[in-house]
Amino acid sequence: MSLRLRSVSLALLFPALVLGWWEWESRQGAGHAYAFAPLEQVARSFVEMLLDGRLLLHAGASLQRALTALLIGGSIGIATGIAMGLWRPFDRTAGPIVTTMRQVPILGWLPLVALWFGNGDGAKLLLVSLSAFYPTVLNTQKGMQAVEGKLAEVGRLYGFTRLQSLRLIAWPSALPLIFTGISQALAFAWIATIGVELLFSATAGLGTEMMAAQVAARTDVVLVCVACVGVMGFALNQLFALLRARLLRWQPAPGN
Amino acid sequence: MHRPSPGKAAIRLAPVLGLLVLWEIAASTGIWPRQVLVPLEQVGATLFALGASGELERHLSASLYRLACGFLAGSLVGVSTGVAMALSRNVHRLLWPTFTCIRQVPTIAFIPLLILFFDVEDSFKIVIVSVASFFPSALATHDAVRDIPASHREVARLYRMPLAPFLARVILPATVPQVLTGLRLGLTRGWLSLVAAELLAADSGLGQMMEMGRQLFQIDVVLCGVIVAGLIGFLLDASMVRLERHLSRWRTAT
Repeated sequence: MSLRLRSVSLALLFPALVLGWWEWESRQGAGHAYAFAPLEQVARSFVEMLLDGRLLLHAGASLQRALTALLIGGSIGIATGIAMGLWRPFDRTAGPIVTTMRQVPILGWLPLVALWFGNGDGAKLLLVSLSAFYPTVLNTQKGMQAVEGKLAEVGRLYGFTRLQSLRLIAWPSALPLIFTGISQALAFAWIATIGVELLFSATAGLGTEMMAAQVAARTDVVLVCVACVGVMGFALNQLFALLRARLLRWQPAPGN
Repeated sequence: MHRPSPGKAAIRLAPVLGLLVLWEIAASTGIWPRQVLVPLEQVGATLFALGASGELERHLSASLYRLACGFLAGSLVGVSTGVAMALSRNVHRLLWPTFTCIRQVPTIAFIPLLILFFDVEDSFKIVIVSVASFFPSALATHDAVRDIPASHREVARLYRMPLAPFLARVILPATVPQVLTGLRLGLTRGWLSLVAAELLAADSGLGQMMEMGRQLFQIDVVLCGVIVAGLIGFLLDASMVRLERHLSRWRTAT
């Protein structure tokens, strides 16, 4: 029991020290309070943003952008991955192109996309979808390739058609890796969403709100947004892990 | 060791070349204006001009300098934090919960906060790279050290090995591959965050070159930036993979 108490108090000690230092810095004159917003003000801003619905508006806009892009980029990625798994010439054609394009840091495409497609919502969605596309296509393709030889043989023995062997053998055995791809895509899409919102101003979104708060030197608002981005990213990840465990309960747990 | 032959590599790159040929054909039909779909020879000429005038070198060296400083600082602190958290139960209790919380936030989300603290000077970009490379290296090191069989540590304790040789002769060799994988991830993330930070605010650097190109509607300059950014990303990753293979040779050797 005392051991538990000790680990809890040690766990709280570090944040307490950081917060104490922060609060101390914030009281060292106006110049310091500029960057180190007093903690009380951070809390007040949080309550204020929560009550006037601003936080919900921006968080909702970011979430919607990330999930829409996941749906678009992820489904194109899975479809491309399946096609690559089924048809070798396509694999040899699309594979190198995807690998080459993936070398460019995702936000590095931003100026080009802005010039070609403007900086509206479509351009943002395109980039975030691209970030969700890479992990899904790569994992799906890997999953399709990793079908066990003996299963494929059973399929041949039963005289399965291509469609049957896709539906009954390749798809279920690729499913765990496809899910891995989607969960990576979810994380990437969330990061890319915040990135495009930081760099392109949007009508709403956590990234845009953070950037506006930075320009207005409102560290308190920036901090609330950073915390919100972190909590939402974590929650999305956990929710998807639950969903995966439920949908794939016939499979051994990942990593085993 | 398996290494693809040059002939095979050429075959694998054929689709990319095909895509470029399609690009060239599309550019020459004039469906889109030349400023929008820039012909490849113009991109090449711009790249050459940027290289000859020393402008590319200036931007590239600014970016690589920031990347190197940030990566070195971030991974040094990251590896030592990882080792400390894995070896000492008290350090683990002290830091791990906070570490796990902050790790959930994507690095680029710290950009506005870091601009407020460090202004938009060089230091801000170095800090963002070090934040980006800190978390993967600390996590990988922590996991690698924790996974060392307890028997290794017990033997070291029996021999009363002091900390420095214990780190150098037990911990280091046992953790090399995993730590390097963490460092590689950190380098990739550092590069990504740096390009983003430079796009947002910089007076030099590859990202700034692309952003200027965008503002002046010079798609050829932007494309040069995309190509160079991709090439650097590829080279960084490939050299880390080689280093990983080289340093963990003795493991697989029989």
